[in-house]
Amino acid sequence: MVDTLLDIAMMHADTLVIRAKQGDQPAQGKLVQLWYKRIYNYAYKFFLDHDLAMEVSQKTFISMCRNLPSLQDNGRFKSWLYTIAVNYCREEARKIKGSRAISFDKVWNPEAEESPQWESSRQRNENPERQLQQLELADILQEALLELSVEQREVVIMKEYEGLKFREIAEALNISENTVKSRMYYGLDGLKKILDRKNITKDTLGYEL
Amino acid sequence: MNYKPNESELMAYLYGELEGEAKMKVEQYLALHEDERRSLENLKSVSNLLGRVKDKEVIAPPIFIGDAKHYFWDVPYFKTIMSIAASLLLVMMVGYFMNARISMGGNEFKISFGKQQEVLPVIIPETKPTEASLTPDQVQEMINSSLANNNESFQSSFEASQQKLDASIRKTLAANSGNMDQLVRQASLASQAQISDYVSNIQAENMKMVKDYFQLTANDQKKYVEALLVDFSKYLQQQRNDDLQLVQTRLNSMEKNTNVFKQETEQILSSIITTVGNPTSTRGIKN
Repeated sequence: MVDTLLDIAMMHADTLVIRAKQGDQPAQGKLVQLWYKRIYNYAYKFFLDHDLAMEVSQKTFISMCRNLPSLQDNGRFKSWLYTIAVNYCREEARKIKGSRAISFDKVWNPEAEESPQWESSRQRNENPERQLQQLELADILQEALLELSVEQREVVIMKEYEGLKFREIAEALNISENTVKSRMYYGLDGLKKILDRKNITKDTLGYEL
Repeated sequence: MNYKPNESELMAYLYGELEGEAKMKVEQYLALHEDERRSLENLKSVSNLLGRVKDKEVIAPPIFIGDAKHYFWDVPYFKTIMSIAASLLLVMMVGYFMNARISMGGNEFKISFGKQQEVLPVIIPETKPTEASLTPDQVQEMINSSLANNNESFQSSFEASQQKLDASIRKTLAANSGNMDQLVRQASLASQAQISDYVSNIQAENMKMVKDYFQLTANDQKKYVEALLVDFSKYLQQQRNDDLQLVQTRLNSMEKNTNVFKQETEQILSSIITTVGNPTSTRGIKN
């Protein structure tokens, strides 16, 4: 239901983009509302860190509002927006690489067990045990994603979670479509190896679930 | 059949982005190659697994975009250049107020502050090379001749000054003696008669003056003595009056006293008489 509503909203996005380009602030606000969750989730999967994801999302949308008038083709808004997000993600990744400091939360986080993640679970009506397994699986998968190289990670997230077409990903990353596809192939292959190493296969999962 | 799909085609096929003939080709190839099909299925299962991760819910924070205009002074290069210019200006101003001077010339680079002090160039006197042609004897001769010249000129100038001095002394002496002679001559010219006249004049003046003086003082004394006598008589009169008044008052007081005394004695006498006259009554009262 949510997806369909979102799709409808996306349909209107074109007119929204046109209005936002003309400096219509409510239209810009709506665009932000519409795309914030997508960009946040992209950045979250890229870093597996809420604060960094928020940072990147905010920077992306500030940049979006400032640079909208320079967008030539309205049809390319989606890939254009992801380009901004990708650039900010890379910038933050460079910063993290550059700094030797490690977040204190990562070193020692006794509250992790009681993190709000547990409470704000989306599927409240589902079986708690199943929920727990779902969360554990999600954690494992996301950690596996983090083990991929930046290039592969970008492509996999965009394809798997953001639902972009290969053409759109190529536009967003400013590379050829074939490169995107081959990165996707090696990304999936790499993920499979990582999951095998973690002993998570279709069979084990089938048994657990 | 030599066809073998590459990774790109496999991915496009996997995500349903392959159409028409290309799709058919891949399908045929996979039907023939079991291992390729299995590996692709593995990739698909990974993709399905990834699909289990759900999106995180997030609320978009309000994003306020301020004035997006970019002015040329916001450019970092401009700011850097301006700040360098400003600091240079500051340095120049400080230099101006501190009288800074930077000079470069002839192997030296100077930075100086404050008032400039002129450095006087040290002049090293050039030593002329002595002429080798002069012999010691010639030099001696030259010295001697110059000494002789000096002596001569000194002698001549000394003599000249001596003469001048003598002349001036003689001149002043002559002038003084002339004046003295004239004075003596004038004094001797005064006659005896003139002197006697002068003396008698002075005597007469003196006599007159003494006379006047005595006359004046006699008058003054007379007046003074008269005034003194008058004052004294007045004083005596006053004194007599005062004495008389005093005697009068004394007499009055004495009279009063005697009167009082009389009255008192009368009273005492009368009281004695009364007490002596009525002895019984007093006794009767006692009893």
